[in-house]
This record gives sequence, structure tokens and C-alpha cells, in this order.
Amino acid sequence: MIEVLATNITSPLGRTTEENYRAVWSGRSALRCYENWRDIPVRFGASMLSDEQMAELAIEGFTKFESLAIRSIEEALSHCEADPTSPRTIFILSTTKANIDELRCDTAECYSTPGEAAKKIARHFGMTNEPIVVCNACISGVTAQLLADSLITTGEYDTAVVCGADVVSPFVVAGFHSFKSLSPEACRPFDIERLGLNLGEAASTIIFGQMENTSTSKWRLMRGYLNNDAYHVSAPSPVGEGTVTAISKVMTGEEKDSLGVVCVHGTATMFNDQMESKAIERGGLSEIPICAIKGYYGHTLGAAGVLETVLTMRASDEGVVLAVRGFDEIGVSGKINISNQERSCTTDRFLKIISGFGGCNGVLLYSKEEVARNTTEVAHQIKCTHTIRITPNEVVLDDKPLMCTTTGGELLKELYKTHIGDYPKFYKMDTFSRLALIATDLLVGCETMDERAVEHDLILFNRSSSIVADRNHLATISDTDNFYPSPSVFLYTLPNIATGEIAIKHSFKGETSLYILEHKSEPTMKQITTATMQRSDNPTLITGWIDCESENQFEAEIKILTKQ
Amino acid sequence: MEELILTLKEQIIDALNLEEIAPEDIDNDAPLFGDGLGLDSIDALELIVILDRFYGIKLANPAEGKNIFKSIRTIADYVATNRTK
Repeated sequence: MIEVLATNITSPLGRTTEENYRAVWSGRSALRCYENWRDIPVRFGASMLSDEQMAELAIEGFTKFESLAIRSIEEALSHCEADPTSPRTIFILSTTKANIDELRCDTAECYSTPGEAAKKIARHFGMTNEPIVVCNACISGVTAQLLADSLITTGEYDTAVVCGADVVSPFVVAGFHSFKSLSPEACRPFDIERLGLNLGEAASTIIFGQMENTSTSKWRLMRGYLNNDAYHVSAPSPVGEGTVTAISKVMTGEEKDSLGVVCVHGTATMFNDQMESKAIERGGLSEIPICAIKGYYGHTLGAAGVLETVLTMRASDEGVVLAVRGFDEIGVSGKINISNQERSCTTDRFLKIISGFGGCNGVLLYSKEEVARNTTEVAHQIKCTHTIRITPNEVVLDDKPLMCTTTGGELLKELYKTHIGDYPKFYKMDTFSRLALIATDLLVGCETMDERAVEHDLILFNRSSSIVADRNHLATISDTDNFYPSPSVFLYTLPNIATGEIAIKHSFKGETSLYILEHKSEPTMKQITTATMQRSDNPTLITGWIDCESENQFEAEIKILTKQ
Repeated sequence: MEELILTLKEQIIDALNLEEIAPEDIDNDAPLFGDGLGLDSIDALELIVILDRFYGIKLANPAEGKNIFKSIRTIADYVATNRTK
């Protein structure tokens, strides 16, 4: 359990949490209609910073994405005494595509990976620890908050700076366009006439600290839960299976009536809103007012989980459940308590619910109520049971080399044909997902029946994010006269899709997360995996490094860790 | 029509990375989704891209594809009637 020291939202609606709250409360939306924006032949609604706003936010030597994150963090820091330079402070950046707008087809220059961007931002504030990038599609912001909780609760750090940020780019617009997910008008969450989502750009920050006292003045992250539907990489379980489980886990021992509001994802796509309505009903939350704020900001991707949490805290401070802008007539079959009018929030307690590509789901419980201080839990002993290493030239499984006749990208096909062979979806995956799937398959194949029977969490780390798929997607949209973005290519530009592919194949329904580091750092990976295992109620974690720089340059080094 | 069917099969195999399948392996009348080729919702979106890119047919609503994408023959019939290039 950790407490919130300060927050910020930097968006087209303002540069502070207060400015944003006042704007939303008064009914302002940043959504506008765009057509042929930056020569992209697509009509779409989005919330974007104006040139004038960006002129004020831009910082020399930093990209738009980095500037936004820095502005958000520095404003949040100004409201508390947290010391970013302390070795007891960790920086966690939540983003889906970071600096992707700087990537070019023909050159590697001017592009910094998400890990490098995080390092630049950290250096700006004099932070001394290696930053962690959470890249877990739409649920990144919720994953980042829960990671902060784990790292502080286990005593690794005293303070965590969690910043979620993403910017709208032709890359992302074209991708969601290929999925037919974009609404040309302002989005209409849960409405019968909803046409899809709007994209939005923003940065939002929460600075967390250890729980200092039992007073009721500060928001506390009571607990959270992450899991995977293991259903489909781009569609949620129609009945919200993962979200229902997550709600149940988080609300164990809690009175549902104690909740003042449930802040939902509410993207205004057909599938998401329908699924969420069913999950809310099945989770016994039909009577709790919901807030869905995409009608003000659009879907801010990596910022969404943080921004929407911050806004819900601020509205709850005022006893307000924000009006669901864009909603008019119910268009989902699950029973939900929704209104396009402002309502009263009767308690200082709320849930944040979110789901994303890759099948991942997350739920957080926040409260200002009086609670006892954390008690230190007994740390689990962790044992490594199996390991695998795959490079373009060798495969070593449990310290024994595996005989192969090919190298590079062909090696992955050989491993597939020799050891899997009955999963044609393999060929549809990008190299990164192929590598992750094969490494996991071979690893799990070493488990005994007893080992295999228990639920697994899955946490992967890398450096290059989804660079191979990123370049392939960029190639399909660079020529306006030959603009045919491919949904199956864009899908893999979210690197956590690899974890979703593994979850589906092996029916893993535990946590699945992907973190990006500036470089391979065993101490950082160990910190994260240890903290996650202490939090998780699953006995086994598959984890390690999976990086793919090109179709012939890759490295997988993963293992199975088991609690003793 | 046979030529169009063969071209469609080659385009689908290429776009969907059906690596171990040859055009002659695909029955003209077999269902593409569920049984048969076992395509899924992302593949359906990819078929929409094929119609747009090679035949100038724009399907704004993926639901329209439900009847068109039943089999290779239904796609070919639709393309033959509606193509603009």
C-alpha cells in the first residue's frame, strides 16, 4: 500500500491537475475532427495539443513526447518534497509508442528507443536509478502504478515517479484506422450509436511515497490486480472474464457499496464497452456510478491509466462523479449505472478498470479512508527451475545445447517445425513474438506435469521494443498514394502482443507484462520480478530478456522462477 | 473467374502469411473462418485491405465482410461485380 504525494495532468485542456479537472467539470472537451492531417488520408476525431500549446511546452533538445513527460513530472514534483535525485527514488515511464513519431524508414538516426527516452528524461531530473518503461498497451498506466506499489512495498524504493505519456502520430492513427477502430466524430462511450475511439495526447504523473500515516487526507493505492484473458490478442473476452476475476480479487473482503465510483476504460469501441458492461454486471458493480472520460481526452494510450486515475481522484475530492460526455442512449447489454450528467460521489473510494491489446486487464482500488500501516510480509524464497537461451547461432536449454542446422530467422522456423509444428498462427507473428513464443514453448516443455498445472505469470523485458514491426508498419504508410496500413502488421507494434500470444497458446491467465529497459540490466530485472512475485498469488513466473533488433539479430534468455 | 480466384488465393496467402498453404490447398467453396482456413477477426480486416488495395473496393464497416468473406468464391463474385480497378 502506497500513498499519493502529488499529481499532474498535462493535456490540451490544461497544464495542471486542477486546470484539467476544472475544464472537464465544466464540460469542455479537447476532441476535434481532423482530415488529411499530416497527409494521412484518414478522417478521425482526436485530442491534440495546438501549435501554440506545444510552443510553450517544448524543451530544446527533447522530442515532443519527452517534453510532455518532463513538463508533467516537473509540475507534479513542485507540489511535494520528493527528491528525484535520491537513490531511493525510481522513475517508471508508461507509454505505448514513446518517440515513434521520430522513426524514419530510411535511417536509424534521430530515433531513441523508449528506454533511451526514459533515460534522457531521468537525466534531466538528475535521477540516478535506471528508469523502467512499462509497455503493456492500454493498461500500461495501471501496470506502472502497481509496479510502483510493489517496488515501494517491498522496500526497494521510498518514492516512485510514475509518468504516463503518449503523443498522436500518423503511425498510430494509421494503425487504429487499419483496425477500423477510429470514430470520425467525438466518441460516444457506451452509447447505442458509438462508432469507435478517438486518440488523444497527454502526459500525466503520480508521485507515490511510502504510507507515512493513517490520516484521511491522502489517496492510497490499496491494492491492484493484473491478469490475462488468454482469449484473443486484439479482442477482449466477450463476457469480460479477466476483468471479472480482477474485480473479484481486488474487492475481496471489501463492501462493494463502499465504492463511490468505478472509472472504466470506456473506449467507445463496440467490443470494449460491451465487455466492460458485462464485467461490471458480473462483478456486482451495476449500482455503482461509472465515469468514462474518453469523451474529453480521447484514448491517451500509455497516459490513460494514469490520467484517468488522477482525474477520478480529483473529482472524488470534490464529491463529484464526472458526466460521461458523448453518452446518450445505452448501447450495451450489461447493466451499468451511467449518466451524461454530473452526479454526487458519496465515498472516498474508487476502482480504476482497464483492458488492452494482448488480452491484459487491470484493476486498482484507491481509497482515502483510514487504514493501518503496511505490515511486512514474509518474503518468498525463489528458485529457478528451468532456463533457455536462444541467439541466431545457438539454443541452450537447461544448460544443454540443442542441435540445429540453421541460423538467424531460419533458426526460429526450424525450431517451430521441429518442436511445435501444429500452430500455424506462428507464421502470422512478427519475429519478436515468434522468438518469445518458441522460447516459452521450449521452456514450458521442460516442466513436469505438476509444475505445469499451476498458474503462471509472465514478465518479459527488452530494449528494442517492437522495432522490426514498427519499421514494417511505417513502410506501409509512408507513401500517401500507396497508403494501405496492415492490421496484422500494426498489431505487433505493441510489443506486449508477444505476451498475449504466449498466454493464449498456454492458457496463462496470470499477469502478463512487458518492460523496456535502456539496456539489459540483471539487477533491475531481478528487482521487478522479485517484487512482482511477492505481490502475486501465482506460484510461478516465466521471465527474462527477449530482444529483437532485426529478423536476424535477436536474443532470448528466459527462465522459470518458482516460489518455495 | 478462375484467374481471379487464383490471384485472390495468392494475395490472401501472401497477406495472411499462410506459409505452409498453396493455392491448390484452398477449396473455392470451403469456409474461410472457423473451420477451413481458420481465419480470425484480424484476418478479416486484412481481407478488407486486399479489396481496397488491389480492387479499389472500400468496406467502411467490417460487418459488411461477413457475407462477402464466406469463401474464396464469394469474394471473387463480389470483386468481379464491384471492382473499380
